[in-house]
Amino acid sequence: MAASNSKSTGWKAVLRSHEFILFAVLVAEWVLFYALGTHRNARGMTVGFGSLDAQYNILRHSVEIGLLALVMTPVILTGGIDLSVGSVLGFSAIVFGKLWQDAHWPIAAAALAALVTGAAAGGLNAFLITWLRLPPLIVTLGTYSLFRGFAEALTRGADIFTGFPASFTFIGQERILGVPAQLPIFALVAVAVWLLVHRTTFGRSFRAIGFAPEGTRYAGIPVERRVALAYILSGLVSALAGLIYTARLNQATADAGTGYELAAITAVVLGGTSIFGGIGTVHGTLLGVAAVAVLSEGLFYADQPRELGGMLTGVLLIVALGASVVPKVLSKWRSSRQTAPSTPQPPAST
Amino acid sequence: MKQHFREWSVAGALGAMLVALAIFAPRFYEAQPLLSRLTDDAPTLIIACGMASIIICRQIDISVGSMFAVCGVCSALLLEHHWPIAAVIPISIALGAVLGAFNGWLVAGLGLPSIVVTLATMVTWKEALRWMRQGVLVNVGSAQWFGLSQIHGQLTIIATSLVILVISALAMRHLAMGRFVYAVGADAEAARLAGLRPRLVTFLMFVRLGALTGLAAILNAVQAATLQPNPDSGLELKVIAAVVVGGVAISGGRGNLWGVFCGLLLLACITPALVYLGIPPYWGKAIQGAIILLAVVADGVRNRKTRT
Amino acid sequence: MKRSLSLLLALGLAFGACSKSDNNAPASSSAGAAPAAGKKITIAMLPKSKGNAYFISCSDGAKKAADELGVDLLFDGPTQTDPGMQNQIVEGWIAKGVDAIAVAAENKDALSTALRKAQAQGIKVISYDADVLPDARTFFVNQATPEGIANALTDEAAKLMNNEGEFAIITASLTAANQNEWIKYIKQRLAKYPNLKLVADPLPSNDKQDEAQQQATTIMSAHPDLKLIMAICTPGVPGAAEAVKQAGKVGKVHVIGLGLPNENKDYVHQGVTDAVILWDTGKLGYLTIEAADALVKGTLKPGDKEFKVGDTVYKIDGDNILLGEPTVFDKSNIDKYNF
Repeated sequence: MAASNSKSTGWKAVLRSHEFILFAVLVAEWVLFYALGTHRNARGMTVGFGSLDAQYNILRHSVEIGLLALVMTPVILTGGIDLSVGSVLGFSAIVFGKLWQDAHWPIAAAALAALVTGAAAGGLNAFLITWLRLPPLIVTLGTYSLFRGFAEALTRGADIFTGFPASFTFIGQERILGVPAQLPIFALVAVAVWLLVHRTTFGRSFRAIGFAPEGTRYAGIPVERRVALAYILSGLVSALAGLIYTARLNQATADAGTGYELAAITAVVLGGTSIFGGIGTVHGTLLGVAAVAVLSEGLFYADQPRELGGMLTGVLLIVALGASVVPKVLSKWRSSRQTAPSTPQPPAST
Repeated sequence: MKQHFREWSVAGALGAMLVALAIFAPRFYEAQPLLSRLTDDAPTLIIACGMASIIICRQIDISVGSMFAVCGVCSALLLEHHWPIAAVIPISIALGAVLGAFNGWLVAGLGLPSIVVTLATMVTWKEALRWMRQGVLVNVGSAQWFGLSQIHGQLTIIATSLVILVISALAMRHLAMGRFVYAVGADAEAARLAGLRPRLVTFLMFVRLGALTGLAAILNAVQAATLQPNPDSGLELKVIAAVVVGGVAISGGRGNLWGVFCGLLLLACITPALVYLGIPPYWGKAIQGAIILLAVVADGVRNRKTRT
Repeated sequence: MKRSLSLLLALGLAFGACSKSDNNAPASSSAGAAPAAGKKITIAMLPKSKGNAYFISCSDGAKKAADELGVDLLFDGPTQTDPGMQNQIVEGWIAKGVDAIAVAAENKDALSTALRKAQAQGIKVISYDADVLPDARTFFVNQATPEGIANALTDEAAKLMNNEGEFAIITASLTAANQNEWIKYIKQRLAKYPNLKLVADPLPSNDKQDEAQQQATTIMSAHPDLKLIMAICTPGVPGAAEAVKQAGKVGKVHVIGLGLPNENKDYVHQGVTDAVILWDTGKLGYLTIEAADALVKGTLKPGDKEFKVGDTVYKIDGDNILLGEPTVFDKSNIDKYNF
């Protein structure tokens, strides 16, 4: 996709890159929904999509899935996948709630315990995937059920943890220096993950591992350790997302985060990361998260039915995938029409 | 025996579970409820036969739940309008085949990754169905059990699923196309060089899965007097888990349907077993996850041993 | 070029979809048209989930009220019961600048968080069907308290079982807040009937009719002396009834629950389901919109003791506007209703 032709440097390459096209789509979406969904109310204030409230809402509502998508990116880059992120979110939220409400731990300790739980959950995935060499899809399919099951068992399905102190729920609900409080946390994680993946040799090995695991191993890189870290990080950040979710809603229930893993994968793939590994960027993921969020919330402000958002997301995903493939298919078709079947072609010189 | 260690171990686990139930909860084997449960699971078995081939040729399809719902609602609507059952069954199968063909075209024709394609189609069909139907039940009425008596209807459905199982198992072993699926799954490039057409094989497997899903959908729709239109999120998990627990490797190229059959029964037993044994239902998901992991770990340990 | 083609395609799809007029958000203000300066009141109504026949029947009554009053009604909810989505929708409505919000809470505490913000912005908030925390709304349009519903169910069960025997409960999902509250009060009410035994933990159906059917089949088999199944979610009642019918235990195992008349008419007439308990959902929706509108206009204020709508006077108990008693739908009256 991006790096295969000679025009891989320079501004032309940037314009042709998947990420830039996605950025253009995002801008177009935004403009479209601004036009459709913004009005002035009786008091002359801007309401609807264009209002600051709405824009902040879009950001706030995508933080949890955004965190999951961010940390899913290195996992997918290594050629793996983590279907358990939503369940880890729920499980750590429950651990947090239970320790605070039933065991009366101080908030900070309970939060720390939740993060440790997330990292441990990621550790289980890491162990099964890197030590026992089990396929990530199935391992995380199993832990998807297992961790959700732990959450349900701990709460007997029914328990709700709520009534958290304002100093905690502040993170999810209030503003700090004018921006929603969870944004600085998200920005921090986003920058950290971006630096990790794109600027450290450690992170760059993720793409190498996804592209050619055996080759990377021969190059002396401790593949298992790196991949394990990706999964542990995934669990840790999922737990962080669980804390923010709990703060935003002032509630922790066993079904927290249900379905979030698919939303995260959607954002990652939309952003140009190949599900097979080896190709992808963190900024692409961020654009993917934004594109889906603007789409579904924009439709809301444009008074369109909710189901349309889901359908269009599916279509967008296919179009995004297809966009990278259609040129290849067309050129193959074109060249097969040009070649006379009886003329032998000399082998392409390397 | 060694070659099919996986299948035998699943069968063993199933056997152990059944024996334990016979001792601790013999009411599990009461005839009518047992028959009811088997009838309810029969559609899932049919879909699993299709999913096994998909996974063997190294693809995956997570849109089966949505396809199932769409075909189910469409068939039920036709039945509600008094179309003859003999017409509705092929229509449901054809509709499923069309949906499967769409997936197959994107995956085999355009070369897109199957997990993402089927994620997209899953979401699209699911939301479209919700939008259309808005939760209103469909009344199947006199078409329930195909118009037969309840017991005949149940036996028909179970028999159909078993026939599909046997035919599929034999086809995978003895039909050339069946063997091609294994070849493509083991190494698609080698298969192509050997003269097979991996993309055609893959496409056909998606169509087959869709058709089987359509059949399963109508077999499900006639099991009650009314059909709820909400897409069953969880069907794909059930099917994939059954296939994987049954020994089909996600890396492609191996597995057979007898293991899948045992895997399906094993996982399907969990929920009723909890009720019969008096265990609270909120342990269900954890147990299901543990079984999936144990099954896959068994694979991994064996792999580690044979590797050095 | 091919990339821009696909880009155009995506945009065209988005454009085409958005310009289509939408008949699922009835009477909503048309996008892009210059709004009149605050003339038409906008009321937003939140169900627990959108594609739920129960809430759709509430919205039918709500639409009627909206038409009569000349207000804009926005009806929107999560497409599946999602703990966090209700908050997002409410926050979106705040940013849209609606005048009033009426909610049925999936998660009481979570939703209260967002509603308090709405109130802080001057938006009037009422709840219906499933309440939130009292400080997050002005009134609760109460069709029946959770305790009242639980008592009605338990009393009906006791009556059918002659005050003794085993019964089972089929619930929605294990985390469903409304159902869990009812279960709590059912267990409390059982103290009144010492010979009535709840024979297992409530069985989840995850709001799926066929799962309810399976659970009912299994529990009847595991407990052969079971006399009654109580299904406390709307898909559960036809599911349980079908299970009883298929098990051939009509008359031996009673079926009651909370359900819509239309979904249960056949089973009631066949004698499978003894009774479903509910209330006039259309009236509930109607009253909700009337109350919201009156709140915005100022004709309804906290501290009022009654609320007059047309010729009907509804009592207000504290901050609960009372719809009336739950109705028991059985053979004698179920045909009179169409929802």
